[in-house]
Amino acid sequence: MIIESSTMESEDEESLLGQESEDENSELSDSELQEAFAKGWLKPGMNVLVDKTKKHVNNVEGLKQCLAGFRKDLPWAERLDMTNLPAEDVIYKAEGKKPAVKIGDVNPDDDFQREMFFYRQAQATVLDALPLLSKHGIPTKRPDDYFAEMAKSDQQMQKIRKKLISKQLILEKSEKAKKLREQRKFGKKVQVEVIQKRHKEKRDMMSSVKKFQKGMTDKLDFLDGDQKKPREPSQAQNKVAKDNKKGPNAKRKYKDQRFGFGGKKKGKKWNTKESHNDVSGFRAKVANAKGAKKGAKGGKQNKRPGKSVRKKTKSRS
Amino acid sequence: MSAFKRKRGGQAPGNKKAKKAKFVADTSEAPKENEQEKTHEITVPAPVSQGKWKNKERVLIFSSRGINYRTRHMMQDLRTMMPHSKADTKMDRKDKLFVVNEVCEIKNCNKCIFFEAKKKQDLYMWVANSPHGPSAKFLVQNIHTLAELKMTGNCLKGSRPLLSFDPKFDSEPHFAVLKELFTQTFSTPRYHPKSQPFVDHVFTFTINDDRIWFRNYQIMEEDAALVEIGPRFVLNLIKVFQGSFGGPTLFENPNFTSPNMHRRQIRLAAAARVREKQMVKELQKLKRAGTKEDVTIDVTADVFLTPADETPVLIQTEAPEPKVVKKNKHKAFKRQRMARK
Repeated sequence: MIIESSTMESEDEESLLGQESEDENSELSDSELQEAFAKGWLKPGMNVLVDKTKKHVNNVEGLKQCLAGFRKDLPWAERLDMTNLPAEDVIYKAEGKKPAVKIGDVNPDDDFQREMFFYRQAQATVLDALPLLSKHGIPTKRPDDYFAEMAKSDQQMQKIRKKLISKQLILEKSEKAKKLREQRKFGKKVQVEVIQKRHKEKRDMMSSVKKFQKGMTDKLDFLDGDQKKPREPSQAQNKVAKDNKKGPNAKRKYKDQRFGFGGKKKGKKWNTKESHNDVSGFRAKVANAKGAKKGAKGGKQNKRPGKSVRKKTKSRS
Repeated sequence: MSAFKRKRGGQAPGNKKAKKAKFVADTSEAPKENEQEKTHEITVPAPVSQGKWKNKERVLIFSSRGINYRTRHMMQDLRTMMPHSKADTKMDRKDKLFVVNEVCEIKNCNKCIFFEAKKKQDLYMWVANSPHGPSAKFLVQNIHTLAELKMTGNCLKGSRPLLSFDPKFDSEPHFAVLKELFTQTFSTPRYHPKSQPFVDHVFTFTINDDRIWFRNYQIMEEDAALVEIGPRFVLNLIKVFQGSFGGPTLFENPNFTSPNMHRRQIRLAAAARVREKQMVKELQKLKRAGTKEDVTIDVTADVFLTPADETPVLIQTEAPEPKVVKKNKHKAFKRQRMARK
């Protein structure tokens, strides 16, 4: 049972009328406890003494009277005060998000939100007050030739300007440095590519020269290499396009057929009616071609000459 | 004397006259009727406000001893922002608070902003309506002054401010009293001799997290583009009194913990954490020590005991006879054996 100490104190004043308690310093002496027990306030069990919760003064009537007493009924032009909610958050609207706070509290730990809240409140005030000010004839814009002392000295403003400029410079420098780093990386890539291309060209040239020497080719087209070049990229592109159209490699197709989608189905019938009637593997060109040509240019270009011929050319060169 | 910048190329003499006579004639007259002032150039300077300054509001801004540099600068900034303010020397802390009322009376001020620094750490601010009116005590936190380089705005010295209040000020009676107090204290009276006729900055009072946040913005454009001028601070309401610097308490903030209590709580929490860790450590020690038992009896000793027949124990009292080694006489010598092989 919890006994409030304040109630006990009032109790003991009544009970000790004319009585002297032995230890007047302690709050609950034996006699007091006995009295309380007699009255039925104490019950068997653990009794804990607890401080009454502090009552905080909120004298609403007093506050209202006070306000009525000291308020001055001045015209608005004297006070220039406004009470308003913050202006609409344009950024949030633009992004399509709902504003985080409607009328509730902004999170005081979120610095940016909080300051934006105050800023928008001031903005709303300014927007509402400007027409009122013009109505009362109070100017807000300072004419250009009106020079007067400012709250912050010119020196201070110079310092501020310098700081802002230095911040901007630092930012620009870091951006430049980043760009340079990127460029260097890119430049390196390009350089490597160019070198590789040159090596490739050299290799091709040497191989074509060797071929000519050995007698595999009798044309000297490789010497006019530069002229061919503009055609090659387009050819390469066409080739690439054609290859892409045909779809995956024949090898890929075969592998898919054997292992794709869970692999070969066990116990599938081989020579069925459907497989017999299936003529998709028939190529008319291949079947009807008589004496197929081994190459478009002629066999000899791709074929390696015989030993005697090689010996001859070797001795010659 | 403030340094007036004179524009080359000459100005209308009327305007020049208005600037020079700033401390003498009413500046609000400057924009209107330049011609009249041209004729008044030689005449006796007009009385201070030409009878237009009616709202005689004066604020006394001063502090007790023991304030630090930030507070001092903030006080000076407030004096700069409020042309209707007066300064006074630091009050000795030995004097009781109601002495402040007398100081106000001497200086002929009817409002007072008094800064009190305790323990060189905590700053309390009293805002009071001097002779009879209410007063409020605040704890000030997060002070930023005009001189900070991040506050890039600027305004005319002594220009009148717009005051902006949160709608929460109308919700509670104690906030309503505070709103009235702030309005009367911070708004510069119209036609005050030291004031400028333009309205170019706005004070914001917002209630958030049970505290009052103060900000000061400069109005840059007519479309409400604002830049912060400063100073800025946060007020934590402690009590509202019916009298000036005393009197019965009208309102007490239930959520307020004095900075001492706050620091004490932090210290107690840290101490409690350390004690808890120690207790846990001790418990663990006990646990480990408790489970260990001294092994005196080997429980597994009887495992290999099998019941067997009792054999009589023979004890030899005499030493056994030595073994007789018979030498093989017929064995040949080693050399001969080797020769044979």
